[in-house]
Amino acid sequence: MNALHHEMILASAGSGKTYALTNRFVALLARGAQPERIVALTFTRKAAGEFFDEILTKLATAAREPGYAQKLAAEIGHLDLGPADFLRMLRALVSGMHRLRLGTLDGFFARIVRSFPMELGLAGEFELLEEHAARLERQRVLRRIFADALELSAAQREFVEAFKRATFGTEEKRLGPRLEAFLDDYQDVYLTAPGAEQWGESARIWPDGCAWRFVEGSTPDGIAALRTALSGAALNDGQRARWEVFLNALADWAPGVPLPSASVDYILKNALDVWLGICAGRAEMVVERRKFIVEGEVAAALRRVITQMVGSELQRHLATTQGIHSVLRSYEMVYHERVRRAGKLTFSDVQRLLVPGGQVPLLAQDSGGAEAEESRLTIDYRLDGGIDHWLFDEFQDTSYGQWLVLRNLVDEALQDASGARSFFCVGDVKQAIYTWRQGDHRLFREIFNHYNGAMAGKIIERHLVDSFRSGPALIEMVNAVFGNQTVLKTMFPGEASEMWAREWRRHVSAVPQRTGQAALLHAPNEMERWILVSELLKELRPLERGLSCAVLVQTNEIARDLAEFLRKDGAMPAVAESDLHVCIDNPLGAAVLALLQAAAHPGDTLAWEQVQMTPLRVVLLAEGIGAPETLSERVLGQIHTNGFEWVVEFWLRKLEAGLGGDDAFSRERSGQMVRAAAEFDETGSNDVSEFGEFMERYVVRDVETPTAVRVMTVHKSKGLGFDVVLLPDLEGKKLAQARDGLAVHKNADRSVDWVLELPPKLFWRQDEVLARHMEVAEAETCYEKLALLYVAMTRAKRAMYVITQAVGSSKSQNYPRLLGNALGFETKKIQVGRIAPEGTWSSGDPEWHEEVKTAPARSEDPLIARIPPLEPRLIQIPRTGHPIRRPTSETKGFVRGGHLFGVDGSAGVDFGSAVHALLATVEWDDGMAAFTLARGKGSSMNDAALAEALACLTAPELAIVWNRPINAMSEVWRERAFEVVLDGTWISGVFDRVIVVHDTSGKVVRASVFDFKTDHVEDETDIWNARVRHSVQIATYCRVVSVLTGLALDAIEGKMVLTGPCRVVSMRSASG
Amino acid sequence: MVPASANVRRHFLSWERPLLPQAVSWLVAGWEGGHPLDLSRTLVIVPTRQSGRRLREALAIFAATKNQAAFPPRVLTPDTLISLSLGSDVASRSDALLAWIEVFLTIELPAFREVFPIDPPARNFAWACGVAHSFIRLQATLAEGGLTFAEVPFNAGDTFVEAARWVQLGALERLYERHLAEHGLKAPQAARIEAARGSAALAGIERIVLCATPDPLPLALQYLSAQAASLPVEILVFAPAAEGIGFDDWGRPRSEYWSQREIELPDFKKRVHLCAHPAAQAEQVAVLAGAYPNPPDVLGVGVADPEVLPLLTTALRRREVPSFNPEGRSRRQESLFRLLKVLVDLVREPTFAVVQLLALCPDFLALLCARLGNKFSVAKWLAELDELRARHLPGDLAAARHHARDESVIAGLAIVEELRGQLLARDFATSAAAALRLLFADRRLDLAEGTDAQLVEAASAWNEVVRECAAAGAHFPRLTTAEWWEFALRLYAGGFATEEKPLRALELQGWLELLWEDAPHLAIAGMNDGRVPESVSGDAYLPEALRTRLGLKNNEARFARDGYILQAVVSCRPRTDCLFGKTSTAGEPLRPSRLLLRCRDEALPDQVAFLFRAAPLVQPNFPWRRAWKLQPRSVPPPQRIRVTALRDYLQCPFRFYLRHVLRMESVKPGKTELDAMDFGTLCHSALEQIGKQPALRDCTDPVWLREVLVNEFDRAVRGRFGTRLTLPLVVQGESARQRLAKAAEIQARERAAGWIIEAVETPFEIEIGGMIVRGKIDRIERHGETGARRVLDYKTSDKASTPAAAHFNRPRRGETPAEWARFEMDGRLRVWTDLQLPLYLHALSLKSNDVMTGGYFNLPKAAGETGIALWEDYSPGLKTAALRCAEGVCTAIRAGEFWPPNETLNPEYDEFAALFHHGVAASIAKVAE
Ligand code: SF4
Repeated sequence: MNALHHEMILASAGSGKTYALTNRFVALLARGAQPERIVALTFTRKAAGEFFDEILTKLATAAREPGYAQKLAAEIGHLDLGPADFLRMLRALVSGMHRLRLGTLDGFFARIVRSFPMELGLAGEFELLEEHAARLERQRVLRRIFADALELSAAQREFVEAFKRATFGTEEKRLGPRLEAFLDDYQDVYLTAPGAEQWGESARIWPDGCAWRFVEGSTPDGIAALRTALSGAALNDGQRARWEVFLNALADWAPGVPLPSASVDYILKNALDVWLGICAGRAEMVVERRKFIVEGEVAAALRRVITQMVGSELQRHLATTQGIHSVLRSYEMVYHERVRRAGKLTFSDVQRLLVPGGQVPLLAQDSGGAEAEESRLTIDYRLDGGIDHWLFDEFQDTSYGQWLVLRNLVDEALQDASGARSFFCVGDVKQAIYTWRQGDHRLFREIFNHYNGAMAGKIIERHLVDSFRSGPALIEMVNAVFGNQTVLKTMFPGEASEMWAREWRRHVSAVPQRTGQAALLHAPNEMERWILVSELLKELRPLERGLSCAVLVQTNEIARDLAEFLRKDGAMPAVAESDLHVCIDNPLGAAVLALLQAAAHPGDTLAWEQVQMTPLRVVLLAEGIGAPETLSERVLGQIHTNGFEWVVEFWLRKLEAGLGGDDAFSRERSGQMVRAAAEFDETGSNDVSEFGEFMERYVVRDVETPTAVRVMTVHKSKGLGFDVVLLPDLEGKKLAQARDGLAVHKNADRSVDWVLELPPKLFWRQDEVLARHMEVAEAETCYEKLALLYVAMTRAKRAMYVITQAVGSSKSQNYPRLLGNALGFETKKIQVGRIAPEGTWSSGDPEWHEEVKTAPARSEDPLIARIPPLEPRLIQIPRTGHPIRRPTSETKGFVRGGHLFGVDGSAGVDFGSAVHALLATVEWDDGMAAFTLARGKGSSMNDAALAEALACLTAPELAIVWNRPINAMSEVWRERAFEVVLDGTWISGVFDRVIVVHDTSGKVVRASVFDFKTDHVEDETDIWNARVRHSVQIATYCRVVSVLTGLALDAIEGKMVLTGPCRVVSMRSASG
Repeated sequence: MVPASANVRRHFLSWERPLLPQAVSWLVAGWEGGHPLDLSRTLVIVPTRQSGRRLREALAIFAATKNQAAFPPRVLTPDTLISLSLGSDVASRSDALLAWIEVFLTIELPAFREVFPIDPPARNFAWACGVAHSFIRLQATLAEGGLTFAEVPFNAGDTFVEAARWVQLGALERLYERHLAEHGLKAPQAARIEAARGSAALAGIERIVLCATPDPLPLALQYLSAQAASLPVEILVFAPAAEGIGFDDWGRPRSEYWSQREIELPDFKKRVHLCAHPAAQAEQVAVLAGAYPNPPDVLGVGVADPEVLPLLTTALRRREVPSFNPEGRSRRQESLFRLLKVLVDLVREPTFAVVQLLALCPDFLALLCARLGNKFSVAKWLAELDELRARHLPGDLAAARHHARDESVIAGLAIVEELRGQLLARDFATSAAAALRLLFADRRLDLAEGTDAQLVEAASAWNEVVRECAAAGAHFPRLTTAEWWEFALRLYAGGFATEEKPLRALELQGWLELLWEDAPHLAIAGMNDGRVPESVSGDAYLPEALRTRLGLKNNEARFARDGYILQAVVSCRPRTDCLFGKTSTAGEPLRPSRLLLRCRDEALPDQVAFLFRAAPLVQPNFPWRRAWKLQPRSVPPPQRIRVTALRDYLQCPFRFYLRHVLRMESVKPGKTELDAMDFGTLCHSALEQIGKQPALRDCTDPVWLREVLVNEFDRAVRGRFGTRLTLPLVVQGESARQRLAKAAEIQARERAAGWIIEAVETPFEIEIGGMIVRGKIDRIERHGETGARRVLDYKTSDKASTPAAAHFNRPRRGETPAEWARFEMDGRLRVWTDLQLPLYLHALSLKSNDVMTGGYFNLPKAAGETGIALWEDYSPGLKTAALRCAEGVCTAIRAGEFWPPNETLNPEYDEFAALFHHGVAASIAKVAE
């Protein structure tokens, strides 16, 4: 057996990443590892499912096919293994499948938290908030914050101040949307760096002091000085005018707001271009297209003015940043109290909760110090005891936060000297397109260097470059673009291209026989690009040939529009694989939501009128609803009794009746809406507005289908492969555009050093610290953009057509330029089958598709087969499953609402059953009954019930109930259960008291049925009502007695015994 | 474990027929009819309530074959068997919870670091309640095996690493028991353990039958053991005698046997169905059910995955197959719960949002109706409340009452206040009853009416909870009324209402019920691992290994039980279909049940390949399709319009029709702050003052002006919103003040430059194209020296704009503007987008011949952009074009021309966006005439 290495696999696209991962898993099993001691983590639930399926398929195939077994055995380095061994592994794996630890990182973390709630300060169970639930909670917290109207507390005062600071210069009229935007954009940053000292703290940003001394001397003085200095300078008229406009406009300027005029921008920009010279005392500055020598007094004064401008602008942004921090903190405090402490956590909360060292005190008020630390270590210790092997998928997407949680555990495995434990990861740093979701691809190299630095060869690095996916034509294009270091270096100088060069390996097609084509085509504008897509598809006809086909774009909106275009203008099946807002993307949903809105808000004439424009109008009229009043009463009542799902379904059903018979789409939507409403009901909310919001946001992921052209974003295509890929949406501006918003500067250990809301570029480009920060940030963006293009261009198996606009005179450093630089700019006709669009590059065979036989449409086989019903000969009836009737539930009549809820919470029921229980103990009144009753029960007895029971026993009017009939044999049934089938219905009940009289021969001659009622009655009317109420029930009892005794009905008397007034009421006449 | 005595005998019932008829034959052996089938001296123990129900039904049916009825046996589940012999001094659920809460809130946490390694973030009632619930669950699990916390270390064996923790748990348990004992109460878990040991004779019972219960509570077996000393205990095992070695003396499947036994599933690939997700499983079963004329006659349905259950109910309903969940209906789905939830919110905090929730609640509406008499209108009440919110943005009930003007709103809110008073007046039980009586006092509930009967039933369950809480409250007075409400609601929410099965309804049964199903065709959905067999992992206190050590039910035992059930269920009927899902609704991957893989080794690879293949599609993707087009009502156009409406028409004639002709206006239910319109109005009303007061008109002191403006603004705000402002109002007020301050500077500067206000808020009416157009001019000024005059309009939108930019533009993409709407400027085509200033100027020119300029007084959010933007190059040519356009618009409106709509509006700013799908014109059936 060969030694088990720690391995790190850098797998280029299509090179069999999953293959390597599953092989590793099998190899571990082959070495005798216990499956449940292997942790294998992926990023998506889908990947986790596929991973497991593939391991099993692999083992199953190896167990069946000796040839395959041999190959697998060789690949995992256990040549001695044969089918029987793989079968054994397969059996072990499936038998222990419930113990496996194979899933997503999120799921793994959640399981840890579930297992160690107390160690983490939770009160037992917690609830994981999925996205929509988290949004709902946020809304509630905001509403809570907004409802406060008491004297403003200090905290609220602070909030208002903070908000003013955070939004300085833009006097917001709306708080809600702005605050939500803050949360969307900045909450993550806040939770990673909650400390005030990290936000807008100049000493942290410029530890060596800021070159732009903050506001020193007054600006007007500076302007005056500059004006004086300029008056003596040699300027032509145009230049002087320019300066004059600048000086005047400057007086109106305040930091934090846009520059007041183009002249200010112009002068500032040109001055900063020669800033070092100005600082040194002499510079040549361009003003009005002519050189102007800035020196002496002018230089000094200009320097002062500009330093002040930049300085005050930076100062302003520092204050804004601090303001943002305070706003977020105020919100978080409420959220924390109401949501997290109530045991509701999001996935990212769960992860933060597990970060050791309590960098971020998520639950504890302060991080709890040594005890928390120790408690956290206990968790690691316990977990570690159960894990030997670690497998990571898509390691480039692991975030640093996730790594922090895992670090100690993985470290144990890596440091283990016995060789029985291992670490393995696969990924591709060239496909790191999730940095915006905190994916941290640099971890890959850092971890490698860390361990191998301490001990060379500790982790073995392998590169997989053979693509099993793409044919040679495609690989040629990929190599031409991504292997062209010269082009990359010129377009992305610095870190981005260097990083790329370090990780790049020339790709090789492992399927050299696979014919196909790769081409770069041109079209003049968006519409023409789309038309070209449509033409290519018509020429290639991939679906008819049984080839899968995808069109990859950059945004979901484009995906939706383009799919729509292809369906309409290209008349081909195309689906946008984006999230579908199924509740509002169609008239049905809109109508039903408007109906609910109109019901809850009768003043909403828009909703009402909208409803009236739809077929709902007729439906409502048929239901007798012609005005808001009746609508509200009806619908609110429905919601109250049945919940939203029921209501939505009720109205949708009515609408469906009027749909076209072939309108499968609307019917499908209708079903989806009902499901959405059911999901909402699960949240337990009965708020109509929350429901509306929920439905509006509710999305369904369009199902994958092999029978359509799939239009999707590049991000979504990651991990997928298609026979034919089209890339018509690569336009755009600069690749180096860093994301807007906060600049977050991190230390080497990824902890946040400082946060700053960036001023416009003009103000930071001459600042050493900020410029350096932005350079890194832009390199990061460039790298991600490059990775995105790489992902897009490596999805195809046979053919790929990239369609861009010709670069022409555009200077944009964008994808089209990158492709042009790498593949050439010379336009020619590119043959693709029978069409020949313009383009610059092609490899492979333009006729490749002609060789692919047209395959029969695969429309049927993937659809699910229906389960056939049982053949009639196998059916024997009758069987159980009758509806049940309980006589007690046959009560009719009315109850007064006020009687439902007793004075002390005790209404009729409890009292009633106590009385019943007491009376059931009495067989006959033998003179001692009352005594026995009074003595017989324990202390916890209900006194009132006892009094009532005693009264019943002694009341002369009730003597017939208790007295043993004279001159006859008789038996009494007390609280006796019965089961019977009457008129085809199963009846199950309990008699209170039945007296069955036998004659001397033992034959049953008559019977009396007594039913005790503790109903609250005051007068004869009440008694009459009670009689009506219970008549059916008592009649049923009589019929049951008739079956049991064989007596005719007229020999059976049904009587109601009112225990309150001690009355016996004969039921005979009332039951008719 | 529990030794069986000679009095305990096993009887095997073969798989040739389903269990139920066989169990009946066995029980009724010897009865020939002629007199009632009397089994009342037999105690039958069945696994679940539902199986007991089936048994009783089967007995009734059997008796009916001889024209008789039955006195049924006493039927109990193992759990109720134990409860039977509990005394009345056992603590209730509430007592137990509260005793634990008492413990957690009073102990020194550091003394229990094994249990509480760190202090919780907040040691309050909510935390204690959470921990109490999990401790009670833990106690219940242990008690099944007859164990208390303290006994765990002694039973867990020698090398037990967690001993220290369990010793502390034991100590906590003692404290808990002490708290209960102080009030004469016994801990329920301990009481059950004790009850199981007791062997008091059961009155009137002559034999005990443990009927096809593969997984009885160990505690119950202990009890039966004790009873076996005096009574015969018959164990009915549903399996052929040949399988005898597969069961222990109590009829429980043996793990050793069932973990190895092949489970025979004939026709495997035809009978086991892979589905993509829960909805697909539901769909499959529903289609199958729909294929039978009367499904319950033939089909039995088992649902092992709770996620499938609601979906299946829905899918069946869609196919008009009534279904029934024997588990009952959760209290959470009932109207009483919905009401109580709002009441709890009201107790917690009477925010206006809560008031509005209550206002929508039909129970509350019924009360208003009763109190306020016939004239009460639900629609008006709700609309007025929305209006109140929109106008005054009240934060809470008090603020709302302060602003209320409408009679019914005043009365209604007073009733809310009264209700809240009742809710908090006295101790929880009393106020709960009082508040609910207040709500329902005037209601008459008709028991024949389903919803009313449901309410009556729910009310009694709630009373039960209140009573329990009241009793517990006497022992543990720590809770506030609000906490009691939450505590009680949580208890109540956990309950279920038992419903009766509707006629011809298909029962959707849980996995453990299936042994008792007697349908010839059985379909089981949710056959996924973790569900069947159920597996428990990651339990914080009782990991699998400890369960095994303690002899509690573990995953192996569950596997054996479920393997047995599957085999029995499949073997006793002609057909069983198993469905399993590939993923959960949330996309979590699922695996097929391990039971489906319990085949011969040779078959395993093939079976694995079959079960782990990709999931088939349920249905193809349907292309988007329009169900209908909207048919707007046709209404005659108005005679008079406002100037601002012309802009709406120019922007989109169709939306103009909706807004100004059909008068469609939406209500924003979540409105918590000023909208753009409110904001503008408030700023206007402050600015207006400058023109109204002569002293201010001539003021050039920005400081004074600012003070006046800000004071005026504050006054307006106070007048509309009161003195207690909500947070957004405070923030928005700040913003407005900043803008007004900046405006004061500009005003002072302009006055100093000679501009004097002549008039403010000047109304006018003019006739254009046969229509009356009216408007109000914000302000008219005259220059003191030059005599020039100008018209200014305040703009409080976020961005400052110039009149020219606001009044015309290039044509929109795809727009062919009407001839009258366009003009040429510098050789380029322009289209009017607004006519406000031209019409102001036009209206004034009809009264005077002075030359006038128009312009904006911008108060945008960027303070630096505050200022006056004049329309200097408004030429006579433009004027002519503008008037022609106004003429055109008015004529078109009068002619009822509201087409074509603007297709390019950003849906985010289009209040009518919800009406349109895939194009505006395409969504509308006909243009109004
Ligand atoms: S996604 Fe592509 S590269 Fe990755 S493992 Fe699957 S086939 Fe291989």
